Amino acid sequence: MMILAILLLGLGVGVLVGLLGVGGGAVLVPAMVYLLGMDQHMAQGTSLLILLPPLGLGALISYWKRGQVDLVAGILCALGMLTGGYFGSRIAIPLSSRSLRALFGCFLMVVALMLWRKSMMGGNTSSLANENKSNV
Amino acid sequence: MSERRLRDAGIFLAACVCGVAAGLFGVGGGVLLVPMLGILFAFTQHRAQGTSLVALIPPTSLLALLAYAKAGYVSWHAGLLLIPGIFVGGILGGVLAKKIEPLRMRQVFAGIMFALGAWQAVSAWRH
Repeated sequence: MMILAILLLGLGVGVLVGLLGVGGGAVLVPAMVYLLGMDQHMAQGTSLLILLPPLGLGALISYWKRGQVDLVAGILCALGMLTGGYFGSRIAIPLSSRSLRALFGCFLMVVALMLWRKSMMGGNTSSLANENKSNV
Repeated sequence: MSERRLRDAGIFLAACVCGVAAGLFGVGGGVLLVPMLGILFAFTQHRAQGTSLVALIPPTSLLALLAYAKAGYVSWHAGLLLIPGIFVGGILGGVLAKKIEPLRMRQVFAGIMFALGAWQAVSAWRH
């Protein structure tokens, strides 16, 4: 029963991510906290595990074909995120679950504002499907 | 040439900042990287998104994941079960987005997210 619930939750989160173009983690973490009853740290760690597989590969190929990829900048970004990610986790782990939740709440608000801004700029529908994948 | 090097160093540093947020909050980081490339380095929206995808292909969250795992904060069982659903759901969502106009939905969802974030921050603060 629990397994089925988790499988369905994944499907629901996936549809939201694809449809809205919001980051997978920003939807996943609260979903795991509130629907699966996970602790904030556990939800964040599990979200990092889920984000490991290269789910954006298909989208990358379509951007590449249209010449919309700066490879050097992308590689630098990957290196930067790898480095930064380590320090971010070192900050998060010793925090109390409560402080981490408060911080995550602030982060969610920032993500919400960005999503709002994106909807204001009005994407052209033809590129939406690709755009949606970009923030996974 | 040196101007280009300066830009590269700047991009690396900006990505480090996004990485800190990604590790701190357990998210992918693309959500911050895209606007940063656009605002700080004048990438067009499409180019910023395409470039951020390069950064999301290698397992950039690996070091953060290992740190969380070492502290016992990873549910392998739930995580592995969630991956197939998200993969299939993502494709369905992409197809659906082409058929309907998701603009209004994005706004509604942004509102819900903002409220959830505010509630989470306030309730954790008050306890």
